[in-house]
Amino acid sequence: MEHVLLAPPRRKVNRQVWLPYLLSLPALLTCIGILVPFVTAVIYSLQRYNLSFPDARAFIWFGNYLDFLTEDAFWNTVRISLLYAVLTVGVQLLLGLGIALLLQRRSKVNNAMSVLLIMPLMVAPAIASLMWKLMTNPNFGVLNYLLTVMGIHDFGWASSPNTALFTVVLVDTWVYTPFIIILLLAGLRALPRQPFEAAELDGVPPTFIFFRITLPMLMPYILTASLFRMLDSIQQFDIIYSMTQGGPGDTLTVFQVQAYLQAFSFSNIGKSAALVMILWAITYALSTVFIKQWLKLRAKARGAA
Amino acid sequence: MNSTVVFKGLRGLALIAVGLFFLFPILWVVLMSFMTNADILRSPPSPFFAPTLDNYRGLISGNLDSGTGALTTDYMHNLFNSFVLSAASVIISLLLGVPAAYAFARFKFRLGEDMAFTLLSFKFAPPILVLLPLQLYFQDIGLYDTYFGLIWVYQLITMPLILWIVRGYFEDISPDIEAAFRLDGHSWVKSFLKIAVPLAGPGIAAAGLLAFIFAWNNFVFALILGSSSVQPVTVGALAFITASGIQYGVIAAALVLSVLPTLALALYAQKYLVEGLSLGAVKG
Amino acid sequence: MSHLALNRVSKKFGARKILDDISFEMKRGETLVVFGPSGVGKTTLLRAISGIMDPDEGDVLLNGRSVMDKGPETRGVAMAFQNFALYPHMTATENIASPLRSRGVSESEIQSKVKEVAKLLRIDHVLSHLPRQLSNGQKQRTSLARSLVHNPEVLLLDDPLRNVDAKVRYEMRLELPRLFKRFQTTVIYVTQDYKEAMALGDRCGVLLDGRFQQLDTPAQVYRHPKDTRVANLFGDPPINLVPTRPSKMPDGSLHTNLAGHEMAMPDARHEWAGRDCLIGLRPEHIALHATPQPGAMQVELEAVTPFSVRNVMLLRAPDGTEILASTPEDHPLHNARGQQRVWASIDMKRALVFDRQTGASLLAA
Repeated sequence: MEHVLLAPPRRKVNRQVWLPYLLSLPALLTCIGILVPFVTAVIYSLQRYNLSFPDARAFIWFGNYLDFLTEDAFWNTVRISLLYAVLTVGVQLLLGLGIALLLQRRSKVNNAMSVLLIMPLMVAPAIASLMWKLMTNPNFGVLNYLLTVMGIHDFGWASSPNTALFTVVLVDTWVYTPFIIILLLAGLRALPRQPFEAAELDGVPPTFIFFRITLPMLMPYILTASLFRMLDSIQQFDIIYSMTQGGPGDTLTVFQVQAYLQAFSFSNIGKSAALVMILWAITYALSTVFIKQWLKLRAKARGAA
Repeated sequence: MNSTVVFKGLRGLALIAVGLFFLFPILWVVLMSFMTNADILRSPPSPFFAPTLDNYRGLISGNLDSGTGALTTDYMHNLFNSFVLSAASVIISLLLGVPAAYAFARFKFRLGEDMAFTLLSFKFAPPILVLLPLQLYFQDIGLYDTYFGLIWVYQLITMPLILWIVRGYFEDISPDIEAAFRLDGHSWVKSFLKIAVPLAGPGIAAAGLLAFIFAWNNFVFALILGSSSVQPVTVGALAFITASGIQYGVIAAALVLSVLPTLALALYAQKYLVEGLSLGAVKG
Repeated sequence: MSHLALNRVSKKFGARKILDDISFEMKRGETLVVFGPSGVGKTTLLRAISGIMDPDEGDVLLNGRSVMDKGPETRGVAMAFQNFALYPHMTATENIASPLRSRGVSESEIQSKVKEVAKLLRIDHVLSHLPRQLSNGQKQRTSLARSLVHNPEVLLLDDPLRNVDAKVRYEMRLELPRLFKRFQTTVIYVTQDYKEAMALGDRCGVLLDGRFQQLDTPAQVYRHPKDTRVANLFGDPPINLVPTRPSKMPDGSLHTNLAGHEMAMPDARHEWAGRDCLIGLRPEHIALHATPQPGAMQVELEAVTPFSVRNVMLLRAPDGTEILASTPEDHPLHNARGQQRVWASIDMKRALVFDRQTGASLLAA
């Protein structure tokens, strides 16, 4: 029983097309709030711009960038930043993985420990630096005392060029390893049980299980955690600035610290902007990789759910 | 049997070492905050001493007793600033961000995907990139060193976080449930308020909590865009520690006060925190 | 004037046309069963009618007036979902009361109406429970109560008995028609189970390829399916389709070699001669005998499977074709196991004839 009731159908108009745009207005404004200064920074980076010499402000296009290529201070910054990033991520990954493996079985002790281990992550990195500064104070620092007991005297911590990097890496590890632990613990607990049960039945040795089963399955989480931390580490500011403001000398002048000093101690806006742009290029490349990886991980978790 | 005992022993030792490393600094600074200057400077340092509340009293009242005479401090004002900045930023982000997250979750519109990508990719961008020009702008328009200016810039920290976490929770609500509610005769506003928001409650709480902690712990934003009147504790503590004549116990007390809120929140709501922090390994 | 009508509704998902120019009318109080395999677009059709989703083209009319400019909250259409879609944070009472709250009904009237419909659906003893504390059967009844409580003009049911256990399904199949009659609602009932279609529908629409391939009373769909797909879907065990080519006998009647057995075709039409056909034999129209019968096909009985109150027998015809027969529970051969020679009487009067190429029924008037 089919018959045409009225004239041929008319195209429907979608009701409330404007609704999603209205709702997401704040997000849009946030985007603009990011993009406007960003563009400004790009412009600054292409200029010779020093607040102390306002009349000399002019476009020198890629002059700042080219100057960097021959500047010792720049390559020092690159070297220190990369070293810092690699050391922190490397140490934290190993430490974090080890602790996550230690805590993977659900027990009262392990659960309590997991909660307590979040604490360092909740401390502001700038404050964490100050805490460690107190502990490493040459006059009354408890750590100095413990070192003396072990026979090491006059350990420079953050005051000596030889040990400054070690000190900030230590603080960074203290703050951020818990993040890796949380992520890897979630990953370990989300792994399917069957391969492990099968391996146990087959009498496979534990090292084999770890390297050939656990590690490969954990790889997405490990990669996610490493990329995330690397993105953070290469632009670290709070910890280093709080500890030494980039010193002693230029031992710890990583990208953002150097950019800050250039802008606010030397008023060299153009140079500072150029430096941050280079850093941005690095983090943009890294974050694109990270986002792809993270989306993959999310899709996989969704599919399993 | 023997190897299991050895194994368990090693495991126990490892756990103790790990616990010690991560918790000792906090515990030691707390201890220090109850020590007199004399106790702190004593060598060898000892965890046994007669505790004193003088450090805290001095901080809270603003009148410090130093070796060279009386000093005044406004550290409590820094603490207040931290509260105001963090709470206000999170509240605004929630009010604006939760509906936006709903729009991203329920409506597939092209601009939305572009916005989501921009926000996400700039989440990892170096802050100084944005702060440097902003400082110059702010000085021009008089927003430098104001709550208003800083709270809006804090949105760059809190808003993307809330958008990202809450959107995932909204996406997890079956569209059929909201469709059923609409078919019952309720408008989409009612559906949002009575169905979507309550069901996404845990996610919204987790996001708000994390956003508060991130805002509280922020250092570089306030350093560059603010000065003494809006300084939060993160910046204030550094100024405190470099100021001369301040007793070490008082410094320790200042540090304790500055981490107390976030640590307390973390302990109280650790379940929410871990969920939010796991970066969507489970929920996204 | 029709109560509910669709006029040329179409909806595309990507390249696929899920709903293709669908039009039909329903009288007030009628129950229409929309039947079809999974994924064919039955739920999409319901979403278009209820307003949850907008079709690309076409009109939905209630009492002759288009409702396309109304959102789901103002159309007066109620829907019960396959997964119940109960509000997890509200009690059963609150779930059921929801449509009344939106209409500003007084609190006392809400309470009495909720109790009334809950009693009708026999869930009045679990009204204070949360959905997660209810069994699937109770969840389904709560969902139904919610859609009935405000006496909707039109009720859409999306395979409501799918996620419910067999016993409850059986009970509901008897209860639902009574409920529909009592509320005098116009009902569209979506299902993949042809038995439900036969039990519940005044009319049955078979949805395939975005259109109603057949829209008729269930009995008609069963007896006179329009094509092989409809015949196949509407029957369990599925209809046997045997390829054959009828030939004309000298006396003008038609004969055919049916799976290796010569059979006469009474009521046959001469235009079928020489044409490639598929003969449709419903398993329930094949009678089995342990001894030879006149005109019966000799087959090998290969297997017997109990099937609720019937047995399904797997037969092998002389030319090797597999044929399914369905016999009553207490049939003498029901204990037979393994290879055994039996005789199958085929009632050619009830056989269906389809074109081999197109699948279309050759019996259509």
